[in-house]
Amino acid sequence: MDQILSNLPGLILAALIVAFLVYTGFRLGPRFLVRRVAGLVFVIFGVSLITFILGFFAPGDAVVNQLGVHYTKAGARALRHLYGLDQPGWIQYWNFLVRLVHFDLGISWADRSQTVWSILKQFVPVSATLGLSSLALAAILGIPLGMLAAVRANTRYDTVIQTFSLVFYAMPSFVIIPFYDLAIIWLASQGLPHLQVSGWGTWDTMTAPILITAINSFAGYLRFTRTSMIEVLRQDYVRTARAKGLSERLVLWRHAFRNALLPIITITGPSIGFVVTGLFITEDLFNIPGIGQESINAIVSRDFPVVQGTVILLAVSVALMNLATDVVYGMVDPRIKVS
Amino acid sequence: MKIEETPDDFQALETTGAVPPIPSSAEAMEMVGGPAPRLAIDNADLTQAELDLRAERETREVVTEGQALSPLQASMRRLGRDRRAMFFLAMVLIIIVMSYVGPLIYTHIGPNIMGGAAGLTPEVPSQYHNYVWTDLSRTDAPSSSLHWLGTDAIGRDLLARIMAGVNVSIEVALLVEILDISFGVAIGALAGFYGGWLATFLDRFTDLMFAFPGLLFAILAAATLGPAFQQKLGLPGRLVLVALALGISVWPFMARLVRGQTLQLREQQFIEASRTVGSSDSRIILSHIVPNLFNIVIVAAALDVVNTIVSEAVISLLGLGVQTPGSSLGLMINDAVSQIAINPWEVIWPTLVLTILVLAFSFMGDGIQDAFNPRTKD
Repeated sequence: MDQILSNLPGLILAALIVAFLVYTGFRLGPRFLVRRVAGLVFVIFGVSLITFILGFFAPGDAVVNQLGVHYTKAGARALRHLYGLDQPGWIQYWNFLVRLVHFDLGISWADRSQTVWSILKQFVPVSATLGLSSLALAAILGIPLGMLAAVRANTRYDTVIQTFSLVFYAMPSFVIIPFYDLAIIWLASQGLPHLQVSGWGTWDTMTAPILITAINSFAGYLRFTRTSMIEVLRQDYVRTARAKGLSERLVLWRHAFRNALLPIITITGPSIGFVVTGLFITEDLFNIPGIGQESINAIVSRDFPVVQGTVILLAVSVALMNLATDVVYGMVDPRIKVS
Repeated sequence: MKIEETPDDFQALETTGAVPPIPSSAEAMEMVGGPAPRLAIDNADLTQAELDLRAERETREVVTEGQALSPLQASMRRLGRDRRAMFFLAMVLIIIVMSYVGPLIYTHIGPNIMGGAAGLTPEVPSQYHNYVWTDLSRTDAPSSSLHWLGTDAIGRDLLARIMAGVNVSIEVALLVEILDISFGVAIGALAGFYGGWLATFLDRFTDLMFAFPGLLFAILAAATLGPAFQQKLGLPGRLVLVALALGISVWPFMARLVRGQTLQLREQQFIEASRTVGSSDSRIILSHIVPNLFNIVIVAAALDVVNTIVSEAVISLLGLGVQTPGSSLGLMINDAVSQIAINPWEVIWPTLVLTILVLAFSFMGDGIQDAFNPRTKD
């Protein structure tokens, strides 16, 4: 019972995923679902094979690294046996696949007391919080501004928004971080109230990473919404809606926005899927204990089971979000039939 | 490219619907007898040729009425008229030229000085203005006439290192785009033209690369294969590896674009005509399909350059790309960021240059997109 309780969040997540798949099956038809799942199996196979090959030929020895000063020949042999590293490559990969079917990602090569699952469980939620909250912020600010830019297309206001959004869209968010650091250092030296430059978990550490990460996707949302709204506002049905005297607000939100939503959903789905890899640079510079930083550490310290775990988690999460995107398409626009 | 038919304010009112649109004379005529009245948003119903013609009238250039422009000529003219794009194109060119010519000049400017730990070793500018030259007697120096942007923690000249870093960004971007375009066009065109197993392979490979983001793949490849490449090819080996990895991860997306376009082209009449007169498949692909891919390929490549530059910087920032004594903007940020409170300029300069580089390339790409693929935006 205790075991079940301690795994409660995981169980709820698993139940949600199963429920979602069943719902998808009804909504989009079982054939479609089966094809998507087959695609997912292929992708998992492919990405794990690439990762395995890269790890297999990589220089360095995880066992020697882990034992460090306690290295003995017997100890190394035992550890190699524990990891199955004493077997030829293709058997190692086969064993990995067999374990994967049982939802077992193996044990970390850097620390044999940790399973890959426990590492993922520790680091992914941090990155997911950062990624999802900045994405939500970006959507909430970006979509209305994009609509405004579309409604005022080709006015001075639109030109200004367009230019700034391109700047924000193109600029990698990490170039802002050094300037943010300097600003905070200056505030601190003046004894003024200020946010933190590193860490995670409290509001004064979380605000800046979320805001800085949101800048890119904010500009992305703005630009996509603008383009797609302009396209929709040209359509005949918008003219019809205006002609029959609907209020401008109703025309915009009920008639135009719903149709303009499709491209926005298209970019949102994968973006949500990608939050499970975290952000390499932002997490590094802000010293956030997320999966981005952890997977870089794992790559550098040759902890390949963790790298495999991250890559597979990413593949699954992207596939699920693509599926969710298809379902949402159908809800927003009943005309769309997925085939 | 924006063409304003009516003054700004009127258009704003029209689209919000607050005031009935004031039709221009041409539109009014059409309203009487012609087809449906036009919505003024963005000249929705005009063809690109008409738009071009109008734009030229406004700028009092040579009006090309009745004179046929090839699509490439038309696109180049459109690009030439876009002042913002031309400005950033010039900026990109200036940055590139400066980063290659700059070191040649910079290594000859400056006095002969006494340097070294004891201050007794003679040094000439071709030494201390070289990006790998270290001098521990002048660490973390502020900018001066000797070191224009100052020096880093082991006394290397920052300006020289920035120029070398920009070279790296440009070279990686160039290599990635060469890979991207050659693989993308070859495989995309063949997959589009013949379909079959090549198309299936492309689909599967794209799915794979979509779930395995290029940056993660490149980081993984750089970390695992980097030492081997460095052993074989020396310091540039790492660069080649990063470029290869980024190239491998981007070409499927280019190929998908190219295939879509090829599928459309394949059904066009001029292909059928060419087939009727007995052209071979290879001739159709090489002289009829590939030239028609130019526009989408150049737009996709121009937009992708920015990603490549940022990715290289990220990989080097994580310490997995260019290794010291080599230089890269990402590596410079990584070297100095822990000391940002003490020596902020060592971070600010490379960050600023990276920002300018990225912005110049993306505004240029945006302009190229407008010029070569005008219907994608508005």
